[in-house]
Amino acid sequence: MFDVNTAIGHWPFRKLLRNSAAELYGHLRSFGIKKAAVWHNHAVFYMNAQAGNLELAKETERYNDFFVMVATLNPAYAAACKDLQYCVRQLGFSALRLLPKYHGYSLQDSCLNELLCTAQSLNIPVFLPFEIVNFRQKHWMEPDQPLESQSIIELCRRYPGVNFILCEGGYVEEMAGLANLYVEMSRYRSSYGQVLAKMIKKLGAERILFGSGSPFKEIEPALLKLRFCEVSEGQKELISFKNAARLLMPGGA
Amino acid sequence: MIIPRKFKTINVHEHVRADEHGELNVSLAQELLHAADLLGIDRLCVSLPSSEKLVDAQQFHQHNNVVWQAMQLSPRFLGFCFVNPRFPAEALKEIELCISQRKMSGIKLYHQHFIDADEQREILDLAAQLAVPVLVHAGKCTDPGTIAAQPRLSNAGHFLQALRKFPNTIFIQGHIGGGGDWEWNLRTLEGVDSHNYYLDISGSVIDSGMIRRCVETIGSKRLLFATDGSLEEGVGKLMAAKLSEEEMRQICHDNFMHILKRRKV
Repeated sequence: MFDVNTAIGHWPFRKLLRNSAAELYGHLRSFGIKKAAVWHNHAVFYMNAQAGNLELAKETERYNDFFVMVATLNPAYAAACKDLQYCVRQLGFSALRLLPKYHGYSLQDSCLNELLCTAQSLNIPVFLPFEIVNFRQKHWMEPDQPLESQSIIELCRRYPGVNFILCEGGYVEEMAGLANLYVEMSRYRSSYGQVLAKMIKKLGAERILFGSGSPFKEIEPALLKLRFCEVSEGQKELISFKNAARLLMPGGA
Repeated sequence: MIIPRKFKTINVHEHVRADEHGELNVSLAQELLHAADLLGIDRLCVSLPSSEKLVDAQQFHQHNNVVWQAMQLSPRFLGFCFVNPRFPAEALKEIELCISQRKMSGIKLYHQHFIDADEQREILDLAAQLAVPVLVHAGKCTDPGTIAAQPRLSNAGHFLQALRKFPNTIFIQGHIGGGGDWEWNLRTLEGVDSHNYYLDISGSVIDSGMIRRCVETIGSKRLLFATDGSLEEGVGKLMAAKLSEEEMRQICHDNFMHILKRRKV
């Protein structure tokens, strides 16, 4: 299993369990998860997000066979492109994460252009969390709403050379035609109505990724969804590991 | 990782749907039963509420007919009767029909009024007289969109008031994971000690540690297993809590059976 949706660090609005690298590693391993893409919560809230990325590199150092690091950057902040290049080339990060609702810009803003072009030149995917915690339980300092689906669609169309990974929900049928959009599966129904299986049929199993949302969320529901999804074992292998390995570890798993 | 079948789990918060003709959507109901089978759920309490402020007597009667059809489709469906307290005379008549004649298991209220509002009195008094539970759509949503859309959404504070105001009525606060600040609800419920209060664990929110916090705050005797459309979420978060055999038995089965045994009709 390759979990593409995990985090470490404190979340300012709720006490998280198992949010250190060591605790998260142990927890994920106990479910048979062999690899995990991870970002640092502190990078969401530091003005200079890069300081959070550096913490991530340091804190996961002992587990670099397990964690695949994702840089969180604000394209409107100073030196974002330079920071991304440093993260990827010097520290071995494998992806970028954008949080427009938390960092105060929109997916239409021109500030994104240079950073997305840098991501493309580095051949790394870009994570777009639809939301981090459910917006209905937002702290008063958090965004009022998740990302707008239409803005995600337009972004994918504007940057066809960049692979985007949508996580924590937000998929709409219109997205099926976007060849550069991948979807993390934790928010879609499975056994009841086979929503996830229908999505896989429409998008192709090559574009769905397993994710749990740990340590914000419990892991068991995502595992149950994969287990009861009525697709072939070969498709499950793609979703549970191979797709993520191809996107995040192009040098080999 | 599914719920062990020995618990004979009762899911106290689910829904059936109507088809385009206003009849039971049978295929969806069968899909629900199939999913329940996969996940170790034995029986399901189902209702068909409406979020419309002005849902009238004819509409809620039609909705309850769909639930009645589900009960006839499978004995695994236990019906809950939805009414709008805005139409008290019709609501009382509907409850008599659904509970006394059609043997539905409880009453479902949505957010047409807060649960402690005076408008609920006749319904809640009748529920007390029949000794059937009242399951209520609830939450402490903090986003402006939901607050505007559901201005009379009951939270734990309303339930504490309702327990004082209607001391003989059995309340089930819906979906602690239904969206909203569940920690606020639990902090408000600290010390609640009423045999008439229950909290269901349903909803799509699966925050780590939530179910364990529920058990620590109000005790396993006050919790009921439920999913409200989020089946893997409901089962997964319950199993993640790693509860004792006794706690599991209470939440999955015994607590609701105790409620059913209090029934007077």
